[in-house]
Amino acid sequence: MQALEKTQAGDTADARRFAAWSPKVLLRDAGIGLALLLLIVFFSVSTEHFLTANNISNILTQITINLILAVGMTFVILIGGIDLSVGSMLAFCAVVGGTVLTIPDLSVFQAVTLATLAAVGTGVVCGFLNGWISAFWGLPSFIVTLGMLNIARGAALQVTDARTIYSFPPSFNAFGSQMIFGIPVVFLIALLLVAIAWFVLSKTVFGRLLYGIGNNEEAVRLAGHSLMFYKVAAFTIAGALVGIAAMVYMARLNIASPIIGIGFELNAIAAVIIGGTSLNGGRGTVIGTLLGACITGVLANGLILFGLSDFMRQMITGVVIILAVIIDKYRERLTGV
Amino acid sequence: MITVETVRAGASGVSTPPVLELHDVKKAFGGTKALNGVSLSVQPGEVHGLIGENGAGKSTLIKVLCGIVRPDEGAITLSGRAYAPATPREAKANGLQVVLQEFNLLPYLSVAENIFVEHLPRNAFGVVKRQEMNARARAALDAIGLNDIDVRWPVERLGIAHRQLVEVARALMTESRILILDEPTATLTSRETERLFAIIDELRSRGVSIIFVSHHLDEVFRICDRVTVLRNGETVFSRPIAETSQDELVRAMVGRKLQQQMASEMVSLARPEEALSLHHFRHVQSPHVEGISLNLHKGEILGIAGLVGSGRTELLRAIAAAERPLSGALRLEGAPVSFRSPREAINAGIGFVTEDRKEEGLILNMPIASNVTLASLSDVSRAGILDRKAENAVTERLGAELKLKYGGPDRNAATLSGGNQQKVVLAKWLARNPKVLLLDEPTRGVDVGAKAEIYALIRQFAERGLALLIVSSELPELMTLSDRILVMSQHRVVGELSRPEFSEERILQYAYQGEQQHAGP
Repeated sequence: MQALEKTQAGDTADARRFAAWSPKVLLRDAGIGLALLLLIVFFSVSTEHFLTANNISNILTQITINLILAVGMTFVILIGGIDLSVGSMLAFCAVVGGTVLTIPDLSVFQAVTLATLAAVGTGVVCGFLNGWISAFWGLPSFIVTLGMLNIARGAALQVTDARTIYSFPPSFNAFGSQMIFGIPVVFLIALLLVAIAWFVLSKTVFGRLLYGIGNNEEAVRLAGHSLMFYKVAAFTIAGALVGIAAMVYMARLNIASPIIGIGFELNAIAAVIIGGTSLNGGRGTVIGTLLGACITGVLANGLILFGLSDFMRQMITGVVIILAVIIDKYRERLTGV
Repeated sequence: MITVETVRAGASGVSTPPVLELHDVKKAFGGTKALNGVSLSVQPGEVHGLIGENGAGKSTLIKVLCGIVRPDEGAITLSGRAYAPATPREAKANGLQVVLQEFNLLPYLSVAENIFVEHLPRNAFGVVKRQEMNARARAALDAIGLNDIDVRWPVERLGIAHRQLVEVARALMTESRILILDEPTATLTSRETERLFAIIDELRSRGVSIIFVSHHLDEVFRICDRVTVLRNGETVFSRPIAETSQDELVRAMVGRKLQQQMASEMVSLARPEEALSLHHFRHVQSPHVEGISLNLHKGEILGIAGLVGSGRTELLRAIAAAERPLSGALRLEGAPVSFRSPREAINAGIGFVTEDRKEEGLILNMPIASNVTLASLSDVSRAGILDRKAENAVTERLGAELKLKYGGPDRNAATLSGGNQQKVVLAKWLARNPKVLLLDEPTRGVDVGAKAEIYALIRQFAERGLALLIVSSELPELMTLSDRILVMSQHRVVGELSRPEFSEERILQYAYQGEQQHAGP
């Protein structure tokens, strides 16, 4: 212990806590990135088809929707909330968007624009309600969004009379499988959303206060900020992103069904947690979420190429989620006081 | 500086072998040396005071003794045998009990269940023998003179003071040779403190050694046989209580001569202009129609004294609109105002330094700069986008002004000592250039040295014309700082004192009279 260098008291405590803007975050994200890299190397070596252009673009397509949902989920989890309703909301947004998309006598451009507005609008309304109800009555978002999970699913079934909507404009569907240099366009859209979210969370007053609320909401309130606004905003953003994810879903699969998206909320939460965001709020980054979504996607794809059944894949994904949280805890204990 | 030599000399002067002996114990967390050579020797049946500024290593030392933290170096012997507990359970098995500062009671279980939680009396089927448990708990409470509570009550029904005593009862359940009390009187009233001292005396006569950690030197002199001072993780001083003085202990803790209190040369800086006035101001909890009326002038420091529960904190919270005010008029610089949210109060020029720094004042896990600018984000951003350079500049400017000792603006607030954390909170409000600053217990959890600095800062604020309303439970603090003191009781102002009239006796007289008046009819 004598050999230890004299450092400013606090280096240790500093290293265990992260905020969006500290350089330590880069290290942390680098750790998750390293895990991703190891996975990629492992599957590249152990399976034949993993590292092919085709498979890579396949993976990117597969993780796109989860990534978009997880970006929204990051906002909610950062303020210490949770949104269990995104899967149901995805179905609801999709059937509303899909209905608009199939209105006859609209040009493709008109149809897609209106459908996007409708889908995102639906998500915004549901998200707003999630946030407003839990903030106004001081209810745990876990309960409120559990309610919304049922409401949105029921609404989706009601609106469509439990039927699937299909036969969207062919050019819309073509867009869903468009590639630029072998990268799916829809994935690029998701990346753009990640970039915007990163900017908002780390560079703006709004983002700063979301982190603040996640860490200590009373201090933020007494410093003169309206908690209501920020809480509602976080859920509303999550809702809007569900709307975008719904459009991407329809473009890719060419259907809108009221029974899609079951369990998607859990995949989104898993990506956020694997990405190092604390479920208690106040700590984490959207870059982590991007890496988390990639890890789940690579794992799913690689394990199947590896020859494991889908059931095994599911079990392993579960183990990874738990491992991610344990590693996080361990790191905290290792460096903390 | 007094070295380990003196410590040993002191110990060897006593003929009986010590029950507990620490020699040069060290513990580092990462690069921070929490303990850097602690030596200490406790005799059987001795009450051993352990004092030191915040961060001196007292808590870590206790954790080492009760098996929560393992030391890196040094030797500990208990009754002559090497002692290195790996778990709290092992420490207890060795007869070492501790009552920690944070309560370890389970609020929804009964008092008896709490007392026996580690070894519930059970029958052959593992079912708790409730009657036996309750009877034994009763006896345990009676043994420490706590006969006014029912052992079947859930702990949540008890006041803080009673909980503390229940903890003591629990610690005494097992035969213990050493009892460690960590700041046991922090939450007790003077009557309850007397009771605790009686219990300590009784234990001492039974040969139990007690390590008594306290911030209150008068208590140390009252109850301890020997006192050890820690500074920066080292033992700097250990002597029989009869051979030392308060002054010497303070010097040993601080490591430098405290500045002479500036009280004598203080002149009121109050200006004629009114800054804040309350007229029959009431909040939800104030029972009286008359509410609170007061005037505060620019540059004035107005102290508010009163017993715990007299409504001091609630008053500040209502002025700052942290809680909704109920009725009455509020004027700021002569203009009538009413605030519906903290935001409106802040925009009008009111700053509020809360009592609980960690829960309400700071975001510990965020950088110092973010904490400093938390209430003035619009000054360091354009179109909602943060200007990190401007943030750092503000932090550095205010940091220099307040003599903040910090590693850098991007360090987390949690890395600072109590005094420096409080300076960050002050900086947060200064960044807004407020007209009125409300301070609730401004030096709570702040060590002696930083206290003097904060006093000087408060005076500086007043010099600039800032009006200050200060609530404090430490009467010497109020008497040092204030131009006037209002005494509150039962949510009313029951007395007002000007500087020449200040004395602890008079303040307490007012405070207790107010209580009795209320309790009367």
